[in-house]
Amino acid sequence: MDFALSAEQQQIRDMVSEFVDEEIVPVADEIDHEDEFPQDLVDEMADLGLMGMPFPEEYGGAGLDYHSYAIGLEEISRGSGGLGTVVAAHTSLAGNMLYEFGDDAQLEEYLTPLAAGEDVGAFALSEAGAGSDVPAMETMAEKDGDEYVINGGKLWISNGSVADTVTVFAKTDPEAGNKGISSFVVRPEEDDGFIVENTEEKLGDKGCPTAELRFDDLRIPEDRLLGAEGDGFVQALKTLNGGRITIAARSIGIARAAFDEARDYAGEREQFGQPIGEFQSIKHKLADMDTKIQAARMLMHKAADKKIRGENFIKDSAQAKLYASEISREVANEGIQIHGGYGYTKDFPAERFYRDAKLNEIYEGTSEVLRNTIGDQLLDN
Amino acid sequence: MKILVTVKEVATVEDEFEIEGTEIADQYLGADLNEWDDYAVEEAVQLQEAGVADEVVTVTIGPEDCEQTIRQALAKGADRAVRVWDDSLEGVDLLDVNAKTEILSAVVEEEDPDLILTGVQAGDDSFGATGVSLAEEVGYQWGAVVNHLEHEFDGDVASVRRELEGGVEELTDIELPAALTIQTGINEPRYASLRGIRQAQRKELDVKNLADLDVDESAVDSDLELTDMYEPESESDVTVWEGSADDTAAELGELLRDKGVAP
Ligand SMILES: Cc1cc2nc3c(=O)[nH]c(=O)nc-3n(C[C@H](O)[C@H](O)[C@H](O)COP(=O)(O)OP(=O)(O)OC[C@H]3O[C@@H](n4cnc5c(N)ncnc54)[C@H](O)[C@@H]3O)c2cc1C
Repeated sequence: MDFALSAEQQQIRDMVSEFVDEEIVPVADEIDHEDEFPQDLVDEMADLGLMGMPFPEEYGGAGLDYHSYAIGLEEISRGSGGLGTVVAAHTSLAGNMLYEFGDDAQLEEYLTPLAAGEDVGAFALSEAGAGSDVPAMETMAEKDGDEYVINGGKLWISNGSVADTVTVFAKTDPEAGNKGISSFVVRPEEDDGFIVENTEEKLGDKGCPTAELRFDDLRIPEDRLLGAEGDGFVQALKTLNGGRITIAARSIGIARAAFDEARDYAGEREQFGQPIGEFQSIKHKLADMDTKIQAARMLMHKAADKKIRGENFIKDSAQAKLYASEISREVANEGIQIHGGYGYTKDFPAERFYRDAKLNEIYEGTSEVLRNTIGDQLLDN
Repeated sequence: MKILVTVKEVATVEDEFEIEGTEIADQYLGADLNEWDDYAVEEAVQLQEAGVADEVVTVTIGPEDCEQTIRQALAKGADRAVRVWDDSLEGVDLLDVNAKTEILSAVVEEEDPDLILTGVQAGDDSFGATGVSLAEEVGYQWGAVVNHLEHEFDGDVASVRRELEGGVEELTDIELPAALTIQTGINEPRYASLRGIRQAQRKELDVKNLADLDVDESAVDSDLELTDMYEPESESDVTVWEGSADDTAAELGELLRDKGVAP
């Protein structure tokens, strides 16, 4: 058992960390305030390979192992939770759908520009009436000659209003339940009938547009189908399994940011003639915060390890995501507490971390649904 | 054209630290690529990208520990690296300019570069002499404190801009082979890309000892002795003016003139 990062992994962490400190941290507040997609930063990140971390170089990616990818995403999220979602939805969801289920022509045409960061990706599964309950979706794709015609709508789609490639899930056989779902590559620029209805005003996760999409007789050639008809549900579950590792990474990144600020503040703020960090109750808070972060990290890397080995990692990634998301909210909460009144104001980033952390418990499987997943795995075995 | 870039791993110090004898205590020290060398590497890589240089080699005097730092330079685009280390260097507190000059000149003889780029100085020792001393030893022309280098070479001549004291700059043509000591700000050093980092792990990093380079161990001996290290007392005082800018700007101007900050 080896808990040390390789030389390459350390260099990757150091580079991304430096980039985050110099380029992202200074504008994180502005991103949070303006809630605009940070295109300039995304372009810079594309140049460094950060928009295609886990994909092979032949498809425009950086060729990183899943540990390194998670480390990179953790660092990015330490700078900005919104940017963490931008990269995670683009890479773990849209990118992995193409990489795992695309044919050679689709890899070439859609994954390569995505991994190189020239295109932005989105993953459109959820609907107003179908969040946790995916098979309840109502979006339909009907075959018409050598085309599919898609009608329906999606809700809460990260990057949905800025994406060049959207992987859309729709029913091709409404009678077949979860076996009637298929997935398609949709290209908003080329495909008529793709409509961005709205973007959400949210508690946090600013900078990553969360879009409501509508498909109005959207026609696409049949070669946009990913895999076979009826594969969509299983594809979505598999993709979300991998995605959860990076939501764990986002959670840990935000928790670290909250912890770092709280520790610094505890050393500087004096009350009753001493730094507040010297009061045992504050010191113990810091101890608990760091312990939770370390434990979450272990779970994340364990899930990544099993994924790399090709073993079943459904339970591991669900546990990593469940635990990391809950401790990210807890750590961010204590971060505000340690800052006292200042923490509740926008003068300090503590409250931003809290707002950004809350989302981790909701998307890519709510905590409640993940406990079901973990429980099922435990009882099946 | 072949470029040799000297690359040093320097000690970095935390904001708060303690001095033990003639050294800063270990727990306050970190390590990083020397800031000036980062600019020198960037300049060399840009010359390679512009098609002027065909090979960029880095050279470092340092123990195995500093290979991560060397790989940073490889990740940014240098082609290969040479690292010099020797048992006789192990216990040396202070490697002086003469010793560095002798070791590096042996590497220059082996590599035979057209252009040597060094940092103006190293952030930890701040001798600020190695580049020029090396040039002198190997019989190259040299230019110190270079803050602009023309990427269009006119035959064998490097056109450089040098930073002098008091805000004066000078344009100089220097015949190759030459050594230039590179000033910060000459360019904007890049971040290594993820691909660059991965490729760097596979690039050649050659390790040589003094015998390999035909350098005598006595080169390491120094006449220089570090006798003390301390933090100087610093004095500061503050003047605060109350009132609008209209009323107080003239007073500020007068104070700056008084202190010799403004002419
Ligand atoms: C900012 C943001 C970004 C998002 N990005 C994307 C995206 O890019 N792509 C995408 O497809 N979706 C995205 N989503 C959607 C997200 O995945 C869903 O919101 C999530 O799956 C929950 O679905 P829901 O909102 O319909 O909640 P519901 O499923 O209605 O759940 C409501 C509550 O009931 C609980 N519950 C539901 N079912 C069960 C059960 N079986 N057992 C116990 N409790 C249950 C839930 O845990 C929750 O507490 C995003 C959401 C947000 C907020």
